[in-house]
This record gives sequence, C-alpha cells and structure tokens, in this order.
Amino acid sequence: MNEFFRRLIYLVSRRRLDRELESDMQFHREIAAREGRNNFGNMLQLREEAREAWGWTWIDRLGQDLRYGIRVMAHSPGFTLVAVMVLAIGIGVNVAAFGLFDMVALQPLPVPHPERLLRLERASPNSYSSEMAYPSFLFYRDHARTLSAGMAVLGVPPMQIESDLQGTSTSFVTANYFSELGTRAPYGRMLNPGLDGSPSSPPVMVISYGLWQRRFGGDPAAIGRTIHLNNKPVTVVGITPYSLATLGGQSPDIWLPITQQAYFIEGSNVLTDFDNSSVRMWGRLAAGMTAKAAEQELRILTNELHRQHPAAVWDNEFIKSSPGGHLQVMQREMYQVVMTVSVLTLLILAVACANLGALMLARAVQREREIGIRMAIGANAARVLRQLCTESMLLAALGAITGLLLASAVLKIVLTQSDAPKWLSASPDLRVLLFTAAITFLSTLFFGLTPALQIARQRQHKTTARHILVGAQVAGSCVLLIVASLLVRATHHALFTEPGFGYERLVSIDAQLGQYGYSANAAKVYLDEMEVRLTAVPGVRSVSLVLLPPLGHSVSRETRNVNGESVMVYPNWVSPEFFQTMQIPMLLGRTFQSGDRNVVVVSQSFARRQWPRQNPLGKLVGDGKVSDMVVGVAGDAHLNALSNDDAVEQYWPIAQDQMAGAVVMVRMSGEVEGFPSVAKSISETLNPKVFPEIRQIRALYAENVRGIEMAAGAVTLIGVVALVLAGVGLIGLVSFTVSQKTKEIAIRTVLGASRSQVLKVLLGQFSWPVGLGLLIGVVAASASSQVLRQTLYGISNLDPIAYALALGFLLVTLAAAILLPARRALQLNLAKALHYE
Amino acid sequence: MPNIVTHKYGMPSGTLPMLILHVLQSGALHGYAIAHRIHVLSSEVLTVEEGLLYPTLQKMLLKGWVTAKWGTSETNRKVRFYQLTKAGLEQLKSELSGFDRVTQGILDVLRTA
Repeated sequence: MNEFFRRLIYLVSRRRLDRELESDMQFHREIAAREGRNNFGNMLQLREEAREAWGWTWIDRLGQDLRYGIRVMAHSPGFTLVAVMVLAIGIGVNVAAFGLFDMVALQPLPVPHPERLLRLERASPNSYSSEMAYPSFLFYRDHARTLSAGMAVLGVPPMQIESDLQGTSTSFVTANYFSELGTRAPYGRMLNPGLDGSPSSPPVMVISYGLWQRRFGGDPAAIGRTIHLNNKPVTVVGITPYSLATLGGQSPDIWLPITQQAYFIEGSNVLTDFDNSSVRMWGRLAAGMTAKAAEQELRILTNELHRQHPAAVWDNEFIKSSPGGHLQVMQREMYQVVMTVSVLTLLILAVACANLGALMLARAVQREREIGIRMAIGANAARVLRQLCTESMLLAALGAITGLLLASAVLKIVLTQSDAPKWLSASPDLRVLLFTAAITFLSTLFFGLTPALQIARQRQHKTTARHILVGAQVAGSCVLLIVASLLVRATHHALFTEPGFGYERLVSIDAQLGQYGYSANAAKVYLDEMEVRLTAVPGVRSVSLVLLPPLGHSVSRETRNVNGESVMVYPNWVSPEFFQTMQIPMLLGRTFQSGDRNVVVVSQSFARRQWPRQNPLGKLVGDGKVSDMVVGVAGDAHLNALSNDDAVEQYWPIAQDQMAGAVVMVRMSGEVEGFPSVAKSISETLNPKVFPEIRQIRALYAENVRGIEMAAGAVTLIGVVALVLAGVGLIGLVSFTVSQKTKEIAIRTVLGASRSQVLKVLLGQFSWPVGLGLLIGVVAASASSQVLRQTLYGISNLDPIAYALALGFLLVTLAAAILLPARRALQLNLAKALHYE
Repeated sequence: MPNIVTHKYGMPSGTLPMLILHVLQSGALHGYAIAHRIHVLSSEVLTVEEGLLYPTLQKMLLKGWVTAKWGTSETNRKVRFYQLTKAGLEQLKSELSGFDRVTQGILDVLRTA
C-alpha cells in the first residue's frame, strides 16, 4: 500500500481520524496538566495544523466556500438569475456553434472504421477537380495496395419514375458502397458486389426510406416490385435504413449500381471514357496503412496512368486525400466560414462576460461591508480571493449547464427542421462537453477574476475596470450589429434588386446529350431542332445556348492576376442571343455574330479592372498564344457567383465541338408554370430516350438567397441579444451610480444646479467608455468585414447605410439605457435624501 | 552545553521524525510519552511541542513509517499508541547515516574555523 492510497483512506475516513487525533491531543493535555505543565495553544488551530498533513484541507475549504457561495446566491436571487442567463446565452451560442461544427466535421460516421475512409480528388498545381473519370477510378482501385476498397459515386440529374413530372434524385454507386459502410437494409437487401457488380446483372434499385414512405406508403411489398425509371424497367430490391450514414452526406432517393449506368442512360460512354471526369472517388485504407502512404502510392499510379493514357492526366497531377469519415469533407473555404462564425460567437461571449464582470464590480461595492468584516476577523486576501473565485465558478457552472441545455435545444430544432441525416444526435458528445468546460473556464477568468482581484485588494471604488468593461461591451455589440446590418442589407439587396440578369420567367433545359453518347454534330442537330420547336411555343420570347448555365451544377473559375490584383474570373461559352435571353445589357460594342473568330465579350467590371479609363473595345485578351479581341462589354451578371460582387465574367462564342454539353436557356414573356411539361413533350418527340433536366431559375435563385437570409437572421438575433445585454448592463450601472451619488445630487440640486448640470456630473463618466467602445467597434468591423465581401451580393463591406443603421440603433438603445435610470436622479425627494444618515 | 535550540518549537528542524522513530524502537508509545521520552533522553534540552509533534506524527502515519492502534494508558484511558513499522526502521537507518555524515561535516568545519 503506498502513500497515495493511504491518503485516499484519510480522505474517506477523515471524520473518524479527526476524532482520534482530537482524543490524542486531549490526552496529551490531560497528562501535561497533571505534571504541572500548562499549554495554552489554541487546540482547534493546532488540530487543524496537524490535519493539514493529510493534504485534504482544500476539500473542506472548497466545501465551505461552496456552501457560502450558495448562501450568497440564494440571498440575491435576482442577481443570480440575471448572471446565469447572461452566461447561458454567451456560452450557449458558442456551444451550439461548436456543436454544429462537431456534427459536420468531427463526429465520425456510424460505420465500421470511419477513420480509414478517404476522399480522393484530382489536383495539380494549377487545377483541381472533385471528380475523376470512371476508368481512372478503376485503375486506382485495382492497383492501389494501400487501399482495401475503392468506392465511386456518379451524380446524375433527377430521374423520372413512371410518368412523374417531378424528377427523383438519383445516384449511381459502386456495388460495394453499402457493404463497405456496413449498411443493413430494414427490408430487402442493399446493393452488393456479388449480385450487382456486373453490367449483365438484372437491373435493380435501392430506394431511400423517405421515398419508400412517400411513394410506396411504407409497404414492405414494394420489395420485388418492378417500376420504370426513365422508361426502363427496374426492380426494387431494398430500402435504406431510416438513419442512413453515407459518404459526404449525400442523400439521393434512388441508389443504382454504377455498372448499369449505360442501361439507364442509353448510349452513354461515361464508364469507358478517360476524358469524362464524372465520378467522386472514396477509398478505404488497408489495415495499418496511413493516408500519406496511400497518397504516395497513388502518385506513382498517376504517373503510370499518364504513361498509358496521356490525355487522362494533367501535368504534375496527383491525388489529394482528405479524411472522409465525417458528414462533410472540410475544404479550405469552409474553414474561413468556421473562423468567421467563431469570431462572431466569441464576440457575444465577450460581451456577456464584460457585462457580468461590470455587474459583479458594482455588486462588490454593496458587499464592501461583508468582505470588510471577513478581512477583519482574519481572512487574508488570498482566502477572500479564493472565496470570490469559487462564487464565480459556481455561477459559471450554472450558466454552463443552462447554456448546454439551450444549445442542445437549438441543435435539436435545427436537426428536425433541416433534412439532416437521422443518425446525428443533438445531445452533446464528449468533445462538446470538453469544449463547454474549456469555454466556461475561460469566461470565468474573464468575468470573475478582475472583480475578485479588485475586491480582495479592497479597491471596489475604482471605476477604471468598470469603464473598460463597459467599453468592451459597446465595442463587441457594435461589431456584431454592423455585421448583422451588412448581412441584412445584402439579403435585401439580393431579394429586391436584379442580379444583373432577369431571373424571373427564365428556364434552363439541360439535356446532357454528351451523357447519352451524342456526338457534337448530332447534338447540334438536336439542339437546333429544339430551338425551332421552342421558339414556336406561345409565350417564349427568346432561346439561346450556354455551356455553364446560371446556378448550374458545374462552375468554372480561374484566379487571374489583373494589374497586380488577383481577380476571380468566371469564363463561359454562349450563343449570340444569350445576352438577350438573360436580359444582360450590352453596354458597349456588340454581341457575337456567326463566323466570329477569336472574339470575346467581357463584363463591365472585367473591363474596368483590366483597362481602367480606356476604351476596352478592340483590346486583346489572352496568354500570348491565342488572343481574343474584345467586341463587346456586357453588364455585370454573376451567373454562378451570385453573392460575390468581386467576380468578373468573360464570354466566348460557344463552339461546334461544345454542343454535346450545351444547355438551352428559355425566356418567357408570361408565366412559366405550364412550360416544363411542354418542353418535356418536345424533348420526347426529339428523342424519347433523353430526359432533360428542366429548371426554373427563379426557384434556384430563391434557394441560393435563402442561405444568406438565414445567416442574416442568425447574426441579427445574436447582435440584438448582444445589444440587449449591453443595454441591460448599462441600465444597471447607471442606476447603481445614481444610487451611490444620491446625496451628491441632492446637495447640488439644493445649491441650484440645473437638471442638465446634474446629468452631466452623473453621466460624464460614461461618455468616454461608450465613445471609445463605439470607435473600436467601427474600426474592428470595417477592418475585419473584408472576409465577408464574397457573401454580400454586391453590398460593400464599408456600406455607409449599413454602418449608419447599426450605429443609429446602437446609439438610441444606449442613450435610452443611460437616460432612463438617470431620470430617477432628477426626481429625487431632496428632503428625504438629505435627511438620510 | 549551549542551547542550540533556535526553533520556536525547540527542535532543530527536520530531526524530529528521526528522534520519534528512534524512541519507538523500544516499543509502541502514545503521543505524550514520545514527547516525554525525547525530553528526558535529551537531558531536558529538547522540548517537543504538540504543535509540531502531532503534524509530524500525521505525516509519518501517511508515509507508513508508523502505525497507530488503540491501547490503554497508565491513567487507564483509551489512547492511540504509535508503533514502528518495517518501513519506519528502514527510514530510521537511512536518516541516521545521513545525520552522522552531516554532523561530522559540521564538526569538521567548526574544528578548523
């Protein structure tokens, strides 16, 4: 038995041992007295000193402090309630934000060995693609020793069940997808390599739990039923579990084996074409292998692939791996969002802590007597400090628990309101609990330590610390309100101004002819015919072709250096009528004409950045080998970067060999509701095997704006909460000051001071912390909002209206918070105030 | 012999455990008896105050050098007797040899100065 265990035993039985010690010492005295030697030491203190050897006195003291703290809190339930709520909001917001991040990026998928899952993407110094060609995937899968399995996912446009008007979301996956994830079907079976691994296997599909409920009424007899998907018969073999874990959070309603892709999309060569990057690859590390080893092996394989199929591989291409065993594979841009959000949520915590700190300082003045008495009867500063810190810890613990409950409730609402995977749970896991503990500790330091130090040193009446805390609150709420105001302005702008093109009454028809094996010439014939038929439809105003349609599935962009600045350029290839269809104004020059060669149309911002204060028409763009002449300047229309006003566009005439990928844009003069079925019947007569995806741009636009709308709502809520906190804090401080200075005010009034003079004396001390806080807030917001530019839909991050709105709101609230309690000072009962004491 | 006791408890610091261990060699004793024995053996030079004795005993209990068990005092009162353990004996030996070296060192210094 070692010393540690003996110490533990002393902890457990310290009551009994204390009695034994007491008996020892009592006996000692008895004998000493008998022998005529007197001992006058304080027995209690001596015993305590002896007990200290056990090393457990701190527990007893902590117990005392806690009991005392609880008594203090129970004596002022109002203060306790306010303090706990303030902390709960500050901590809760942070815990909720971290909880979301935890769900998305940290929680492992509920599948066997999630840590071995890798997301594999093509990358090179100049290029990046999240997708690769299916034959390349097969090559990697078959040759990589570091991977025990490879999974591929091919996303396709929604497919048509029977004769539905609305398509159903569909994914083609390799047959091992579910066996690698350990998915078990509640009814029927999942895909499996033995039965579904070959193109000659009978066509089967697995449907999602949701689709099974909606379309088959949850009837188990749906298994084995044959239905038509894009007019091809296929048998339903299974239903995915209710809480299905998938790679990358994908959740299509229909799962098909990738080997049967050509059966559903006739004429397709996606599975054999090395040039068609269309599948997303995932890998499972073999036991004992590291991601690094896999990357090295894949690099060698890429070089080998390059030797065999030079066109399939870029210069210096390599395969980039990222951990795949979470809901989302985090990309670099996402971390920027995470950083922005954490700064905002930490700001509200800072406001909450500053608020509480100021409140505690004010209370310290009221507790002056109590602390004074404790010091007088022998407590030293350290003991008082410890006591005050214990009280803060107690408050913080209550706040943290409430905050945690608050955050769980918020997450629960988010989970039920969004179509998040069902395996996600709102109850906090260990990471969230640790985070909560850490952030609680930090906030305790922030709100508890300064007041405790001041009190322990008996400096309650110094106002500097209080003013710094007021300034911090004002600055924090100022930043939050400005950001909220910017986002609200952006939402407003996005909702009520045209994004440079008319998105109402606009429809895109994406036939994806290339996927059906159409040659460029055949596609041209198809599209020409479609254009003729569409133009004949009543209500159709304009029809044109584009390679990358607005709000489309794929986006192309490159970062180019223009006059020393890096600019995000969005290239596109369009037919001459495109600008008319999209209602993008042609500001200078002309659109394309048939027979144009080496010409380009640029957007207004592009021209302004590239050739400031010059006429852009006739200028050349290009890398030297091929230069194109600018023939026209179009208005800014960020087709695929709606929120980013720093983006610029560049248009080339769509070429003959791009026809297989071209998308038809249709502008209507009337309502578009009946149009999709008309377009569908036209496509059916052209080729019944082709199922074009018909999308209304207005709906896509609304969906795109919804994100910023929600962000604006959330930040506004946080900003208003911060403002309320700051306001309540100020009200408290001012009324406290008024109550402290009652006599001074009364004397001044009696001696003939005017109301404004009294107010000036009273409130003068608040003017500099509030003013300085505002200044710091504005400077911090304007400096840091640069990162928001890409999400503001063209609102400048220094937008004066947004700043004016935020500051106006802030000033009115603060003025009210200061003046309301100060008014009390002017309505003093002078006689009573002076009689007192 | 001059009174070398400078400590307010009347004991050169750090030596008390050694003395306690030494007096317990002849058998278990209660607290007062330990103090008394040391006082008598030192020709009444060393006084062991209870303010030092009991904390030291607690530490020694924790270290496992002594154990305590109930017994009856000469005045017929139930009281705890402290008894040397094996570990305590070991400790005593090592402290004694250390102490010997230190005193020898001190004496050497004093002789030459």
